Amino acid sequence: MSQVTTSGPQSVLSGRPLRLIAAAILLVNGMFPALWILFTSLKTEAELTVKPITWLPHAPTVANYMQAFSDQPLHIFLFNSFMVALLSTCTTLLVSVLAAYALARLNLKYRGLILSAIIAVSTFPLVTLLVPLFEIMRALNLLNTWIALILPYTVLSLPVCTLMLVSFFEGIPRDLENAAMIDGCTRLGALFKVVVPLCAPGVFTAGILAFVNAWDEFLLALSFNSNPALRTLPVGIQLYQGEFAFPWPVISAALVVGIVPVAILIVIFQERVVSGLTAGGIKG
Amino acid sequence: MTTSTLNITDRMEKQPPAWSRLLDLSDKALAVLLLAPAGLLLSLIIVYPVLRLVYTSFFSLSLTSGLPAEFVGLENYQLMIEDPVFWETTWNTVLITLITVPGALVVGMALALLANLPFRRQWPVRLSLLIPWALPLSFAGLIFAWFFHSEYGVVNDVLARFGIEGVIWFNSPSLAFAAICLTIIWKTSSFMALIILAGLQTIPRSLYEAADVDGAGRVRQFFEITLPLLKPAIVVALIFRTITALQTFDIPFMMTGGGPGTSTATLAMYIHQNTVSFLDLGYGSALAVVMFALSMCVTVIYLRIIRTKE
Repeated sequence: MSQVTTSGPQSVLSGRPLRLIAAAILLVNGMFPALWILFTSLKTEAELTVKPITWLPHAPTVANYMQAFSDQPLHIFLFNSFMVALLSTCTTLLVSVLAAYALARLNLKYRGLILSAIIAVSTFPLVTLLVPLFEIMRALNLLNTWIALILPYTVLSLPVCTLMLVSFFEGIPRDLENAAMIDGCTRLGALFKVVVPLCAPGVFTAGILAFVNAWDEFLLALSFNSNPALRTLPVGIQLYQGEFAFPWPVISAALVVGIVPVAILIVIFQERVVSGLTAGGIKG
Repeated sequence: MTTSTLNITDRMEKQPPAWSRLLDLSDKALAVLLLAPAGLLLSLIIVYPVLRLVYTSFFSLSLTSGLPAEFVGLENYQLMIEDPVFWETTWNTVLITLITVPGALVVGMALALLANLPFRRQWPVRLSLLIPWALPLSFAGLIFAWFFHSEYGVVNDVLARFGIEGVIWFNSPSLAFAAICLTIIWKTSSFMALIILAGLQTIPRSLYEAADVDGAGRVRQFFEITLPLLKPAIVVALIFRTITALQTFDIPFMMTGGGPGTSTATLAMYIHQNTVSFLDLGYGSALAVVMFALSMCVTVIYLRIIRTKE
């Protein structure tokens, strides 16, 4: 992505005006919905119901943000989303580092079969397991706990992270590990002291993808956690809708609050995220 | 390998601590140990639930009735075949897949071709493709519900500026369906564009230069160089997109709640309704088995393609 010169039949057509138009289309397509919700969140209810509608807020106000936090426990939704995403990311990384190391380094008899199984799981529709997972979580008394979400979210990102890490591990020369083992490291020690640090960028990228996956998930969070104190952000945002009223400025403010954390992550680590996303077949 | 074993014996005096010798396992034991956590998780969250799903689908199990589960054979499936809502939601799901998957491909391809122009700064382009990907589906559904709002929505406002009278999007089944499909295409095309863009950047420039020398036009170059070379990346992206399209839930749930009536409800929404709202686990399971079968078909095709590539 960082190349300035690009290939392709377009390069000849790339006059400055064309580039400007292209940039405008891309930016409007990518940013407009988020910007529009930002504008809406800064408008007063009165400005919102003026016709014809205004585009930029005339008298920007942060009152909607205050109300978003006071009408519903938005900070609790944020905290729940953050903890569930963080804990499931850590579990995913730990489990997939171990599995990927075995697949990349040990001469396994059924390596091909295991890899195929992982690919098959990566396309698995978790929605279909709503009933049995609901039953399992109910039987284990895990409904309305973070664990009810952390376990499925871990599995959601596990295949993709494992496949990604296998290819990263295969790029690390074996000699480095052997050297560590000669110096008295066990194999597991060598994995965590030598291989994982060398693969840190890859592990980190896998982590971001797992985090975003968990942050986005809606259906399971909606089905397994009915207790308001345990709702994650996408589920909590529904609570702003009254029976008849739909307070759009307040909902917009809550949406902006929910978009910002992931947006920051994306802005800082954009190159890494793109390389991770395009490294293999990954769900979008 | 032999040299390192020799070296280890050379340095026998430098013993690792006793606890870590316990962890010094044979390859086989180590493999089992390393794969065990993943295996356990997958058994608990995927394998056992799949078996349980099929099993439950043969039972009448409704948590509201308070009756114990009763084996009813294929009754749930029979009910399903006679259930018009099942057919409607399945058809909606298939239709959403058939519209939004090619739609996302076409829009994604266009975005990728635009993004591949030689911009001086890459980060705004990259961000404008990443933001829609990172936005939660449920958020996208809410944002676009606001876009398509009949009174104060920006879509009707733009239409009005062009002299077209705005419509009440969510009162008509076909318009509501169109709004949902547009939203899904917007949300998913960016990811498609990122995959295609990565593919575009691996195509050597020299191929186009050679085609220029041979006098091939832009359009011909696109169809004879760009498209064939992008095919592998596109196929993988399309299959993942197809499988996620079959699971469509968040966007219609947020935009229309399935309405008007059940005209925009998807199979995933019907499963959710039967399971979580009606607590009819037997029927919900039978519905889920159907969705499972649908997506398994796609997965099998996917594995075939991957195998032939190797």
